[in-house]
Amino acid sequence: MERAMPQAVPLGQMEVFQALQRLHMIIFSQNVSPCGKFLAAGNNYGQIAIFSLSAALSSEAKEESKKPMVTFQAHDGPVYSMVSTDRHLLSAGDGEVKAWLWAEILKKGCKELWRRQPPYRTSLEVPEINALLLVPKENSLILAGGDCQLHTMDLETGTFTRALWGHTDYIHCLALRERSPEVLSGGEDGAVRLWDLRTAKEVQTIEVYKHEECSRPHNGRWIGCLATDSDWMVCGGGPALTLWHLRSSTPTTIFPMRAPQKHVTFYQDLILSAGQGRCVNQWQLSGELKAQVPGSSPGLLSLSLNQQPAAPECKVLTAAGNSCRVDVFTNLGYRAFSLSF
Amino acid sequence: MSSESSKKRKPKVIRSDGAPAEGKRNRSDTEQEGKYYSEEAEVDRRDPGRDYELYKYTCQELQRLMAEIQDLKSRGGKDAAVEIEDRRIQSCVHFMILKKLNRLAHIRLKKGRDQTHEAKQKVDAYHLQLQNLLYEVMHLQKEITKCLEFKSKHEEIDLVSLEEFYKEAPPDISKAEVTMGDPHQQTLARLDWELEQRKRLAEKYRECLSNKEKILKEIEVKKEYLSSLQPRLNSIMQASLPVQEYLFMPFDQAHKQYETARHLPPPLYVLFVQTTAYGQACDKTLSVAIEGSVDEAKALFKPPEDSQDDESDSDAEEEQTTKRRRPTLGVQLDDKRKEMLKRHPLSVMLDLKCKDDSVLHLTFYYLMNLNIMTVKAKVTTATELITPISAGDLLSPDSVLSCLYPGDHGKKTPNPANQYQFDKVGILTLRDYVLDLGHPYLWVQKLGGLHFPKEQPQHTVIADHSLSASHMETTMKLLKTRVQSRLALHKQFASLEHGIVPVTSDCQYLFPAKVVSRLVKWVSIAHEDYTELHFTKDIVEAGLAGDTNLYYMALVERGTAKLQAAVVLNPGYSSIPPVFQLCLNWKGEKTNNNDDNIRAMESEVNVCYKELCGPRPSHQLLTNQLQRLCVLLDVYLETESHDDSVEGPKEFPQEKMCLRLFRGPSRMKPFKYNHPQGFFSHR
Repeated sequence: MERAMPQAVPLGQMEVFQALQRLHMIIFSQNVSPCGKFLAAGNNYGQIAIFSLSAALSSEAKEESKKPMVTFQAHDGPVYSMVSTDRHLLSAGDGEVKAWLWAEILKKGCKELWRRQPPYRTSLEVPEINALLLVPKENSLILAGGDCQLHTMDLETGTFTRALWGHTDYIHCLALRERSPEVLSGGEDGAVRLWDLRTAKEVQTIEVYKHEECSRPHNGRWIGCLATDSDWMVCGGGPALTLWHLRSSTPTTIFPMRAPQKHVTFYQDLILSAGQGRCVNQWQLSGELKAQVPGSSPGLLSLSLNQQPAAPECKVLTAAGNSCRVDVFTNLGYRAFSLSF
Repeated sequence: MSSESSKKRKPKVIRSDGAPAEGKRNRSDTEQEGKYYSEEAEVDRRDPGRDYELYKYTCQELQRLMAEIQDLKSRGGKDAAVEIEDRRIQSCVHFMILKKLNRLAHIRLKKGRDQTHEAKQKVDAYHLQLQNLLYEVMHLQKEITKCLEFKSKHEEIDLVSLEEFYKEAPPDISKAEVTMGDPHQQTLARLDWELEQRKRLAEKYRECLSNKEKILKEIEVKKEYLSSLQPRLNSIMQASLPVQEYLFMPFDQAHKQYETARHLPPPLYVLFVQTTAYGQACDKTLSVAIEGSVDEAKALFKPPEDSQDDESDSDAEEEQTTKRRRPTLGVQLDDKRKEMLKRHPLSVMLDLKCKDDSVLHLTFYYLMNLNIMTVKAKVTTATELITPISAGDLLSPDSVLSCLYPGDHGKKTPNPANQYQFDKVGILTLRDYVLDLGHPYLWVQKLGGLHFPKEQPQHTVIADHSLSASHMETTMKLLKTRVQSRLALHKQFASLEHGIVPVTSDCQYLFPAKVVSRLVKWVSIAHEDYTELHFTKDIVEAGLAGDTNLYYMALVERGTAKLQAAVVLNPGYSSIPPVFQLCLNWKGEKTNNNDDNIRAMESEVNVCYKELCGPRPSHQLLTNQLQRLCVLLDVYLETESHDDSVEGPKEFPQEKMCLRLFRGPSRMKPFKYNHPQGFFSHR
């Protein structure tokens, strides 16, 4: 863990407040630019910071290269989720989704291109948007969050085309099954639901907590993370991290991880997961733990793999969570350095 | 022979030179004399070239005759004697010719010499004339140049310009018609005018001098009058003293103070002047006084001769004493240290009265050799304070003024030059002596006008009024805020130690009506203990836990749940908020490392403190934070999702009204309280 030396500089009111803010910062989401050279990170104060990966990875990187190139206030509430199209960065958090132009984002005083709010039922409290998913075939965006529905928004017209009902509690995560375009969603109610986009209906439901092998009642039943590889799905959260075969809806491998996982993704022939606890875990498909690489935050909330073809030198894994730092892994075996807000 | 005869003849010849030419013709009787005359004339007539030929011929004849005589003599014979005689006579004739020629040659020579001599004499005479003339010419030239160079005194006088002259001079002096044409007359006229003007001005000058004398005398008289006035005024002042006291206008007292102030060292003087001015202008609750012995202060500045005498006396005494007993090195060093840390006998006392009748007493000292000022502080309250155990350090003289400005801990001397002085006498740091001497805070130096710039160390630092004035108002305000916040904390601590969180009525709206969690313990802990706690590492690393802060531990309980809160109280409370770190013991130990909701609770109390400040001057911050902590613990415990596998009801039934129990990817609990609706929601 990075240990900063206590400063000898006398701290006035402003410095103390900033230090406290940084101590209590949570980075919820990250996203890589289409050119692959920049990383956007969104935190719980509603700020988005853009880091230059190419500068931080270059051989003459200095301390300033690990600081953001620009930080701006994007939302009033936390920025829970971000995705990128080939020109825009879409960020969502407190009930709204906003779009920013990647080309303009590095300039000072960048304004959002547009903002949209899906039609919510309740008006007492604006529900948050926890997950964004791009469906490239339809050129649409799916939003899901606090109001337990999946909303589809057409990116060209900006209208909300569908609302998919079914979850009984708020939705944590989304995943796209490309072949037959289906969307998987996992929620607080403990169920993973599959939706067919063309018919706008729920096709399959997997109630993970009902399966004894993977349920862990003391953690709860909530599904915090989802990843899918067409026939296979891995999900985790309150229940243990499990690999499922979708057609038969059976759990095939249970990964022996006690701490609840908040993010999981397929990578080559491995499964990477991260959650409560410092480490990024690498699993074989058979269920063996290949490696546990410690990061600098006490808990991780998001992982991002920069696989953009335009910038092969910036191919890194970045992890962020309960701190103001984003860990950069150039090689999956160790943490190279950390960017920080 | 011929030369002898020529010598005889020479005087004769010379003598005869003087004879006039008529004598020559007259004395034609004697052959010799006629010959003389005719020889001189003959010389002129005869041609020297022919004479030379004759001479050569005669010599030849003589040689021939001699040779013949020789022949005849050698042959012998009787005729020879006659022939020889004949030849002898001929040679005698030749000899006589030769003699004559010789004489002629001599005469010619003499004539030539005479002529040369004459000519030479003439030339000499001319030469002499020439020299005389040249000399005269030179002399005359010198005279001429002297004349030409002569500057008459009148040219040195700066005359007025022509135009002015014609304008100003009266016509009888300027005589324009005459002077215009004739420069000589013009100059004369100008000189006249100059003379007149000078006479006039000299008159004026004499008049002014006499005026000045008169005025000086008048001034003297008036001065005497005024000085005689002084004792009368003094007596009036004395007489008016009882009136002053009756009317509460202590002018005399102030006057005495100013008198004493004159003996203050410059930084204390600046402080005194600025604080009195500030007190009179802005703040009636400020009172300034000077304490200490004026005589000692006067004694510090003895005149040099006296001190030299003293020195020699004391040297003599010292010698005697050193012979008897040499003080040990340690004692010597000690004495040197005491000497270095000596205080000026006068000090300035400042009393700041706050709204609730508590008073902050500040005494400012000046350390002469170190050129810094120090302050000792004391807080007295209107009513007697019972100090709660945890509040020991709040009002202690040592720490009540610590870090008034960020980083100003007052344990190090602000004057960089002092380090060298300390090295000489073996003082490591001023920290050991601050209890005795007072704290050398930076703001104290600024109030005394002393400025120690780090980049350019100066040899002498002089006290500057403007520096003091610019810091006065802020510092006074900070001092008052500090005292009041400390007193407020003092009272609050007394209540906290009894387990009651004192929330004032105007802050009640921040919290729900029913709060079940209770504060059971409130103690102060040491800095080292704080840094050893396992859940405070982040704060220590962020540099927020220095040794100038105060540390406390609070314990909040509800049922089986125990929440420990480690509190860092910055001396700059309440503009700098206290920082809380939590550790919950309930179904395992939860800290911000392993539980996102504990992090959220810390964030609610630390980062969102501005809502909890309450009405100005925000003394309620700490108690509001503690109350909020209790509320947060309530929410945490009540919203904990029920574990289906465990039998039995929930330990803490949900009584709080919440819209949603969890939100967001990290499943946050609803910690935000909404007033007046009274429900909890998420940020």
